Amino acid sequence: MGAVQSIARGQGIAQRAKTALAKTPRRRRRLPLIAWVFLVPVALLLLALVAYPLLNVVWESVHYVNLTNPTATGFSGFDNFETVFEDDNLLPALWNTVLWTVFSVGGEYVLGLASALALVGPIRGGAIFRACIIIPWLIPIVVAGLDWSWILAPDYGVLNLWLVHIGLLAHPVDWLGQLNTALPTVTLANVWRTFPFYTISFLAALQAVPPELHEAAALDGAPAWKRFWHISLPHLRPVTLTLVTLHVIWTAVNFDFIWVMTEGGPLNASTTLPILIYRYALQNFDVGAACALAGMMMSAMATMFFLYRYGFMGLVRARVRRLNAGDA
Amino acid sequence: MKARRYRCHLAAAFLFIAGGFASVPAHAAPVTLNFWAAWDPTKSDGIDGMKQIALFEQSHPDIKVNVQVIAFDALHDKLITSVVGGDAPDISWGLVEWLGELNRMGALPDLSAQMSAAPEGKALYPNALAALTIDGKLRAVPNYIGLRALLVHTDMLKKAGIAAPPKTWAELLADAPKIKAATGKPAFGIAGTGVRTPQELVMFLAQNGVKIAVPTKDGKFRNDWADNPAEIKRAAEVFAFYQSLATTGAIDPAAAGWGYDEEDSEFAQGRYAMVVDGSWMSERVAQNPKEMADLDIVPPPYNTTPATFFEVNPFYIFKGPHEAAAWQLAQFMIGREYQGAVDRDRSPRMDVTGDGIWGKSFTVLTPIGVVFPPVPLGSITQSMEDSVGRVLLKHQKPDVVAAWLGHAVNKALRQSGQLGSP
Repeated sequence: MGAVQSIARGQGIAQRAKTALAKTPRRRRRLPLIAWVFLVPVALLLLALVAYPLLNVVWESVHYVNLTNPTATGFSGFDNFETVFEDDNLLPALWNTVLWTVFSVGGEYVLGLASALALVGPIRGGAIFRACIIIPWLIPIVVAGLDWSWILAPDYGVLNLWLVHIGLLAHPVDWLGQLNTALPTVTLANVWRTFPFYTISFLAALQAVPPELHEAAALDGAPAWKRFWHISLPHLRPVTLTLVTLHVIWTAVNFDFIWVMTEGGPLNASTTLPILIYRYALQNFDVGAACALAGMMMSAMATMFFLYRYGFMGLVRARVRRLNAGDA
Repeated sequence: MKARRYRCHLAAAFLFIAGGFASVPAHAAPVTLNFWAAWDPTKSDGIDGMKQIALFEQSHPDIKVNVQVIAFDALHDKLITSVVGGDAPDISWGLVEWLGELNRMGALPDLSAQMSAAPEGKALYPNALAALTIDGKLRAVPNYIGLRALLVHTDMLKKAGIAAPPKTWAELLADAPKIKAATGKPAFGIAGTGVRTPQELVMFLAQNGVKIAVPTKDGKFRNDWADNPAEIKRAAEVFAFYQSLATTGAIDPAAAGWGYDEEDSEFAQGRYAMVVDGSWMSERVAQNPKEMADLDIVPPPYNTTPATFFEVNPFYIFKGPHEAAAWQLAQFMIGREYQGAVDRDRSPRMDVTGDGIWGKSFTVLTPIGVVFPPVPLGSITQSMEDSVGRVLLKHQKPDVVAAWLGHAVNKALRQSGQLGSP
């Protein structure tokens, strides 16, 4: 009986397996359909929120679109680009964008790495320091910008008061109102606000470095800087590449921090390309010119990162492959 | 059959209800006007203004007024974008500098007929109405006039041994070192950034007999400095005056970065001696009674031509379904009762003048008031601001700056389609 039951059970299992096998192709046939059902809403969202605005920028960059001049309409050819290239402020704004991006990202990297190294070791109250260091990054940009504007004000700002009081300055300096100090001052304030993001990212990466590596190197007599150079730094490479890539994009296109602190002044001394785009669009109301500049900036950024992704990184991978092949 | 009868009853009931609604008079539906104001709701004009609007609502039960307070700094962008987006307010405060843009956008109705028929039209200063008229059509209603006069801390002048405030630029520049030596404070104040910079520049240009743009035969405008050596020389003299103010220490070195708020606050706190400013500074007397106790108000100094900036702040009525109701509100606000309660010291009505220094000291300057040309001013005012920065911060030569500004103005006029032939 038992044998019969077991045979029957075996036949049942076989039957179910056969049925399942028979069903599998149908499921497989359905899979693309199910995938489409899930993908279509996302695709529609991306089309509406990303593709359409981007294409619209390109479209309007070759059309006359001026909010205060409704009679100017139609295809403009390269007129909007001509308007941008004729602007005396274009090259200074481009240079300011480069300075602002390079010094912001560089400063954030150095300060973030230094603070992460200081906090990675076992120090008393380390948790409190780690919690406190994140505060600048938690402050909303507008609040941080206004705070710094008040701190730096020449007549009532505390920074000038302290610097004059301790004798470092003879009289208060209008940090945000002078041509040669406005952009460096805003850059420093931006570094102060953003470096904690680097700190926590580096801290996480440093804590993931296996301690045995450091112990072994220490036993072999490697000094601290060599251990940092040959062990810690290589482990930070992936997070560094991600952080720097993201922050170069975020900083180059940043508008709000500069606008809150200087509005691009004095006399365009802190005007970057996003500020110039805003001025075209919402001060001159020349949307066509704004789109032309925005399109050029977008193309330049995209080209840069395609070159980085498929050019530079491709070379690096090829070199690694060659090295690995040599080892083998 | 039953269903058919039921449907007939339903249709009859629907027609009855619809007919009932249709028979209600149209005016019974209350209109809510969106009114954008730039007053400070905590100060007297805002408080008195809201009381007056409550009175208007009582006397016009079919009109409700939804007041939204928006600072001048944000008002321009909001108005332009709301007009483009088809969601403009029914009536709004604004600056006369925006008249050309809003008119070009086709956002403003012609109010000439209403104003001609209204008794208020005859009570308003003719040049206030003229400043809001383009091609013979009245496009806005004067809200208040902001004539600029020279406000003087007399104690500082006395301390420097100066008997009377300066009447000319030369006197001002001569007095400046004396005031600095006697008080340790600068003699004069300017706004180097923001909306007031072009207002001051257009005034200084007028005080030297120059205009930023002049009408051309084709009904457009043009800066003619490049075509006229005498004009560009006079324009350069204005920038040389700015430079002299800085080099002689007549202005605070930080004034190049001041906006209107810093300019007003620093003067109200007695940190410099004189400023060309408006009657809204009366608010500062209450805030700084001690520092403002020595105040005197006289006509502004000039070089060749007595002139001051005539700021006609308009009410803009926008085209839309509530134009008629918005006109009623505007008519109420230029009425004698409202103006007497809210804008006594700066009323555009000839029959409402404040007592004392905040009233007549300013209104007597109406004949020498100058305004901006009625063209889209967005990038023109930005270029004017930049030109002052070029002189004060970049230390460029006045004639170079004058030539640059003339070119920038014509470029802006070309871009807005308003550049006339020479």
